[in-house]
Amino acid sequence: MTTFPFGLTVWRWVRRIFLTMAVAALVFWTVFPFFWILLTSLKQPLDVIAAPPKLIFEPTLQNYEAIFIGQKRGLYASTRPDFPNFFLNSILISCGAVGLSFLAGIPASFALARYTFRFKEQLAFLFLSFRFAPFITFLIPLYILFQQLNLYNTYTGLILAYQLISLPFTVWMLRSFFMEIPPEVEEAAKIDGCSWWGVLIKVILPLSLPGIAVTIILGFMFCWNAFNYPLMLAGRQTFPVTVGAIQFISYEQVLWGQMAAASLVAVVPQLILSLFVQKYIVRGLTMGAIR
Amino acid sequence: MSRPQAPARHNKSILPYLLLSPGLLLLLGMLYPFFLGVYYSLTNYYLQYPHLFRFIWLQNYLKLLEDPLFSYSLKFTLSYALVAVVVQVGLGLAVALLLNGRIIGRGVLRAMMLMPLMMPPVITALMWKIMMGSTKAGILNYLLSFAGLGPVNWLGAVNSAIVSVFIIDTWGNLPFVSLILLGGLQSLPSEPYEAARVDGAAGWGVFRYITLPLLKPFIILAGTFRVMVSVRIFYVIYAATVGGPADATMNLHMRAFFYAFQWYQMGMGMAYAMVLLILVFLASYFLMGYWKRAAEQTSL
Repeated sequence: MTTFPFGLTVWRWVRRIFLTMAVAALVFWTVFPFFWILLTSLKQPLDVIAAPPKLIFEPTLQNYEAIFIGQKRGLYASTRPDFPNFFLNSILISCGAVGLSFLAGIPASFALARYTFRFKEQLAFLFLSFRFAPFITFLIPLYILFQQLNLYNTYTGLILAYQLISLPFTVWMLRSFFMEIPPEVEEAAKIDGCSWWGVLIKVILPLSLPGIAVTIILGFMFCWNAFNYPLMLAGRQTFPVTVGAIQFISYEQVLWGQMAAASLVAVVPQLILSLFVQKYIVRGLTMGAIR
Repeated sequence: MSRPQAPARHNKSILPYLLLSPGLLLLLGMLYPFFLGVYYSLTNYYLQYPHLFRFIWLQNYLKLLEDPLFSYSLKFTLSYALVAVVVQVGLGLAVALLLNGRIIGRGVLRAMMLMPLMMPPVITALMWKIMMGSTKAGILNYLLSFAGLGPVNWLGAVNSAIVSVFIIDTWGNLPFVSLILLGGLQSLPSEPYEAARVDGAAGWGVFRYITLPLLKPFIILAGTFRVMVSVRIFYVIYAATVGGPADATMNLHMRAFFYAFQWYQMGMGMAYAMVLLILVFLASYFLMGYWKRAAEQTSL
């Protein structure tokens, strides 16, 4: 009788210690890479390649200076990649792609959410299938076409290519948000004499504003992450940050410190934006399949 | 006499098609290059020698079948996806159970899990490349040395490069699986658990006979997405190993890319791409069906 509660407490302690260790391991596994990249980005070139790795060193901001100056300031431009430009390119291309996807996606997702018509599911699936096709099936012909149409290394071309990422996502996300609005609200508006246009503008869009904001932010983030299409369709003038960051690796050398700094800078918008859409990230990644 | 009313939403008007048209137009703009690509896969298109351009029917595909590099890529692609989905879903379930338990700072942990998830995969690969580093200076080998292990030649040797790619991929995608499964765990009904407690069931039995069956649609959904993405994994491999060493991490996607953009054999590259596309299509077709059935059974 006395040993039983004692055994139970021991068991409870073992369990608690085990759980704490598991949580600690999870935290370490997730956070350590960020911590190490931060340290690397603050190191001078010799400290970066020191063996064994240095935990204590004299920090420097030179790597950040180098990537922020880019190629504009002649003499001081020690780096080959032109990072500030890449950053602006990322913003421009992602905004363009999301904007275009929204113009085309709002009416499309409204139709898919609110009407029944022939081939509806097939059309919806057509949109989705573009998202899941391996990008190389589009990249090779697009590369050839863009050379012929003078779209290679242009923002227009890249924004068009990014539609493969942002349009299917926008249509499916918006559709899932539109479907959450009860049809009765819409019926009431119709009785008041609203046409489909009035229903869309006065009822659906205002009621799904939060969903629209989430879709915009997530769409922007997915475009920001894209690496595949710009890798071959963009040139030095139109590279986004993802392709820009890999430019620190060349045949002669790897600029580890600058690459670490660039990686962290490239991630900042993602970390900030994800704060706003925390609850919706899984929904976004499953194209609205999971609420 | 009242007129018979047409069903409100069953109009045969062309309005929905009109609404869809801008989006479809954009996609059709992409269907053209797609079919152009299918056509190229039946030609011997060399980018540098356009005058040799010839329609060669299925010769590219026949050449694939005899190519040992193709069979390696195919095997690597399939086995990678299989191992990835099993290990990542297994680990993801463990993490989800951990986060679902009574632990301190659950909200913070959840938010923390989102960080790797929203990283550009290329940047993830570069971060790990820095940590794997050269054999002597890499922090991972330094940490391993405290456990008396290593040094590991992470990205430099055949087997370790495959494992390294898998580690990087898992770091970025484990949160995806865990968060889906965590969402699943939190949406489970409490009645079966109360009934189990009344019956005196606990621990493993509850997990095996209540939690797992109820969680099945979520597990299948997470697995489906992981399979579909692992089959065409590219970013991580490109940034970490560029398919090396000795072509060990050359999956179909990388090989298609190399044919097209290193050797400028657009026709052969497209043939590889088509094989990959068929694989992805088959996988998604069957898994989506499987998921729908599982979801209906448990009325998700």
